[in-house]
Amino acid sequence: MTQEAFVYAPADDDSAPDIATQGLSLAYGNVPVIEGLELRLPAGQVTAIVGPNGCGKSTLLSGMSRLLKPRAGAVLLDGADIQRVPSRELAKRLALLPQQPHAPEALTVAELVRFGRHPHQSWLRQWSADDKACVDEALELTGLTTLAERPVDALSGGQRQRAWIAMAIAQQTATLLLDEPTSALDLGHQVEVYELIRSLTAAGKTIVMVIHDLVGACRYADHLIAMHQGQILAEGPPGETVTADLVRRLYGVDCTLITDPATGAPLLTNVRRTRDVLDGSAT
Amino acid sequence: MSNTLSTTSRSTKHEVTLLSRTQTSSHTYTGKFLLTLPLGKRPPLRIIVDKRNLLANLLMVGLLMLLTGISLATGSAATLSGPATLGALLGHGSALDIFVVRDLRLPRVVAGLVTGGAFALAGCLMQTVARNRLATPGIVGLDNGATAFAVASVVGTGISLAPPAMALTGAAVAAALTFGLTGSIGVRGYRFLVAGIGVGAVFGAITQLMLTRVSIDAANAAYPWTVGSLNARPAHAVSILSLALLPAVLAAIRLTRSLTVMRLSDAVAIGLGVSASRCRLMALNVAVILTGLAVAVAGPVGMVALIGPEFARQISTRNTVPVVGATLAGAIVMLAADLLGRVIFAPIEVPVGIVTALIGSPLLLWILLNPNARTTP
Repeated sequence: MTQEAFVYAPADDDSAPDIATQGLSLAYGNVPVIEGLELRLPAGQVTAIVGPNGCGKSTLLSGMSRLLKPRAGAVLLDGADIQRVPSRELAKRLALLPQQPHAPEALTVAELVRFGRHPHQSWLRQWSADDKACVDEALELTGLTTLAERPVDALSGGQRQRAWIAMAIAQQTATLLLDEPTSALDLGHQVEVYELIRSLTAAGKTIVMVIHDLVGACRYADHLIAMHQGQILAEGPPGETVTADLVRRLYGVDCTLITDPATGAPLLTNVRRTRDVLDGSAT
Repeated sequence: MSNTLSTTSRSTKHEVTLLSRTQTSSHTYTGKFLLTLPLGKRPPLRIIVDKRNLLANLLMVGLLMLLTGISLATGSAATLSGPATLGALLGHGSALDIFVVRDLRLPRVVAGLVTGGAFALAGCLMQTVARNRLATPGIVGLDNGATAFAVASVVGTGISLAPPAMALTGAAVAAALTFGLTGSIGVRGYRFLVAGIGVGAVFGAITQLMLTRVSIDAANAAYPWTVGSLNARPAHAVSILSLALLPAVLAAIRLTRSLTVMRLSDAVAIGLGVSASRCRLMALNVAVILTGLAVAVAGPVGMVALIGPEFARQISTRNTVPVVGATLAGAIVMLAADLLGRVIFAPIEVPVGIVTALIGSPLLLWILLNPNARTTP
């Protein structure tokens, strides 16, 4: 793993991104959160990472987006360690939407979305026809074309989240990492964001989202990763992965699982606290 | 399960692009010039110039020239007319006028211009990377650190480096201590601020202690560094600062694109391919160097680092980082404050540090009390 041995292969537009972790260990300060994680994410699909508070799902996303340097192991994008990919190159292949980002006062939607072009620009090449086309496309996809000149902080919660997603879309990456994109939103705005995420996958993007809403994850994700105490408890299509037993081990609650007659997604009903696990450790 | 939603397959990937290309332009880049330089077969150079910022900077350059003229013409020795000042500057007129303008006033005006610009640029950079308007070099203790070291060299504590080198060392030591104590800049820079205020207080106390323990003559020699004045400028300190200011401004202009993205948050900036920690380190280094060298010339006139960038932000386009504007505004504030200090109680001179503190303190209170102004610069 010397600098010379590393060969960086530029992303091929038509090849699906291959994201994997190899013995990945992540820690905050001296507190280990994830140890030796092996993971491979399906390309061109929506992957939802779920789990209780503090299970390490946001940490994992931080590691995958290079906000957090691994203690050991690596996150591999198309076989290359992302720590060794130049940061601008990585930003052309991997976009990140952090949890509840804050836009400075009076920043307009168009200005925010233009930031998405940052990795494609340089000091001497600040704006091109390509940039403009990508910004227009991102505004169009998120339905924000008519709101382009409005300040971000004057938008509704759902519109604001769409504006941030538009910024990530303008980045023109094959992969989007979203950290709790629906957490602070009401039901209507949540569905708005979920449907936008689905349309992005339909357009060929790979989406990885960390999410609290298990029902939403079952309904809108193709692939589900259930994490508990830094470990993966279960992984696969939601319909095959989510069981009453998994829900109990994850959250310490009992539930009755039924199949949504409209969508075929697993649906949690009659959720109640597990009687014999009152100390909170459900494993 | 979600097949009903994802009916389209991956083969439709490119349709999205085609669809949008047919749309008419939905957003316009208002208020900007796009300077384009064709390069034959290679992609053309394209630089965005903000109209309002350009206008603001041109206005400030004009104001600066006016202030320079007034500063050169006014003073206790003789008040000259405009043409006479210009003549004296170019070497025409009476020998006395030439001496007053070229040898007495010009060096002072140049010192004011470069220190004001340096303090304010340092302030603008630190405020931006700390995402806090209060995080100016003066408030986080760099000025006091630089002053303590500069005073140490003057009062003869056995350390005999030139004041610029001492002040630079002091600013660097204060910055290193502040960072050592906080580990990082923290959320909205608060940890950094609190540690910096503590470090600054320690260095302030050291300066006072040194002054009480030396002879009255040595204390007098060190006095300008304790209040901030353009009256006693150590030899070469102005030239060294002038040499450093140009590359510093260029480095700041180079960093502007990254700094603009870093205003959002570190996570967003990293996601957009900005090396946040490297950008922050570079901005802080420039700020430390400028502050150290400026303190060596004029002492701790820290309030300029608060007033200059604030003034520049008020007249620049919102959501930009006006590094050039802040530099110009700092120079204006410094010259205006020095001029005011020289004429208001003439022939007694009020040190520029006291004038800027009088102007800056209400501004500081306003920032502290105004909830909208308190956050991101």
